[in-house]
Amino acid sequence: MKKKILIVGGGTAGTMTANNLAKKLMPEIEREEVELVMISDSKNHYYRPGAMYVAFQKAAGHEFVRDQRSLLMPEIDFFVDPAVEINTKANYVKGKSGKLYNYDFLVLATGCEVAAERIPGLVEGGDWFYSYEGAKKIAEKFAKIKNGRVLVTVNFPKTPNIPHQCGIAPVETTMMLHDYLTERGVRENIEIIYTYPTKAQAVENGLFLQSPTSKVLPSVFDSINVKHRTGFTLTKVDPAKKIAYSEEGEEIPFDILMSTPPFKAAKVIRDSGLSKAMDDEGWLPTDKKTLKVIGLKNVYTLGDTVDLPVSKAGGTIHNQTDVVADNIAAELRYGYPTESYDGKVIAVAQMGLSCGMPLWYDYEEDVQPTPCSKLGSFMRLGFNKGLYWAAARGML
Amino acid sequence: MNDKVQIAKSAEMQLIEDKMIMLVQTGRIDNLIDLLAVISDNIEMTTQPMVEKMVNTVDNLASVGFVTENAVRFAKRETAKNSVPSLFGLLKLMKDEEVRRGLAFMLNLTKGIGKQL
Repeated sequence: MKKKILIVGGGTAGTMTANNLAKKLMPEIEREEVELVMISDSKNHYYRPGAMYVAFQKAAGHEFVRDQRSLLMPEIDFFVDPAVEINTKANYVKGKSGKLYNYDFLVLATGCEVAAERIPGLVEGGDWFYSYEGAKKIAEKFAKIKNGRVLVTVNFPKTPNIPHQCGIAPVETTMMLHDYLTERGVRENIEIIYTYPTKAQAVENGLFLQSPTSKVLPSVFDSINVKHRTGFTLTKVDPAKKIAYSEEGEEIPFDILMSTPPFKAAKVIRDSGLSKAMDDEGWLPTDKKTLKVIGLKNVYTLGDTVDLPVSKAGGTIHNQTDVVADNIAAELRYGYPTESYDGKVIAVAQMGLSCGMPLWYDYEEDVQPTPCSKLGSFMRLGFNKGLYWAAARGML
Repeated sequence: MNDKVQIAKSAEMQLIEDKMIMLVQTGRIDNLIDLLAVISDNIEMTTQPMVEKMVNTVDNLASVGFVTENAVRFAKRETAKNSVPSLFGLLKLMKDEEVRRGLAFMLNLTKGIGKQL
């Protein structure tokens, strides 16, 4: 009987995994023993990190959007039908259309979304670059500001030891902001204050979620005249007075609040009852090695939905996707998974508008910060504007 | 007085020094220095818009490769699965919407080429 693999989510994780599964299972597909189905809530595919460049007027946004069908191999059946219910007992996912998608193996790749409403006043008084709408809004403010203060804040999930989306993004955007305002000739009239919460995964009272980078950041920020302060966990914003309040009892007035807001998993995951995360955040309990949802034999997950301590970023997914695809292929062929995820994350951080820092880490080793370079920036640009699409198609 | 400066070297440093001496003695060092200078100059002269345009070309080529590879694999599979169609059978293939979309694409492709001739 034909085995059915259902992939829920047409973002980076779902797309890479669907294509990798098609490649690895091609003999079974040729023999009509395996069927691949993807459902997504959009006909479009968005390269999420692109929004960061929109915030600083370095891209319009359309460069990072493509037709999802054009990124999938023809062996994958694709339906635009948002998932509304997951039933892991009867092995089906229900679409908004009412259609039931049965599966033998399920891949949950529904990502995460901004949950700014979880901090009173943040929606009205704050800005963020984690969505294209948000990035366009903050870009207008950055283009107009002539003097005043830009305050950078970072919120972490309430569930312990889980990062916010793209851990390095607050540092990247702070440095990009410095370069952008310098380019505009207004930097000396604008104060940038970078703040970080008291608790950031394993780091306390630092400026980053990993200790080695946290230790070098003060000198990096000092060199570009960015003020920095730890122990500021944003808890409330007064949009009228433009004041940010911290859990620690401090208040900082601002002209623009560039926040890393709280995040939550997709609604279908939060409603599924599969998560044990705090505050209805919805992170899926994930086996750190096999990438299976803990307690379920035939459900895998990867990317931003997981409850692992690694970054919620494309550079993580690129290393997880082959583990998931290999394990599903092995289960079909031998009855057990064969691959193990080592926590590897590989990326190039955009440290300012024209400087890139290649970085890598895993469960055992933190990032060792190195000086950024022009070549590093070209690597990042190359990935953003071209290589990403090849990676999504499973070509690299 | 004879001043002699002694520098403590690791075995690895000695090895590198020996290799460098060989490069100098054989004259290869001149070419290598020139090559490094060319690489450095190229990095210096390359701009972000240039990288963007180059990457865009690579992306276009990759997209063509993706579509072609997929289409050829699909066609091979379908051809192997079915017997050779009759003339009428060929026409029947065109009842399929995806076949018609592909054919329309091929015809538009010839127009796109024609426009450039």
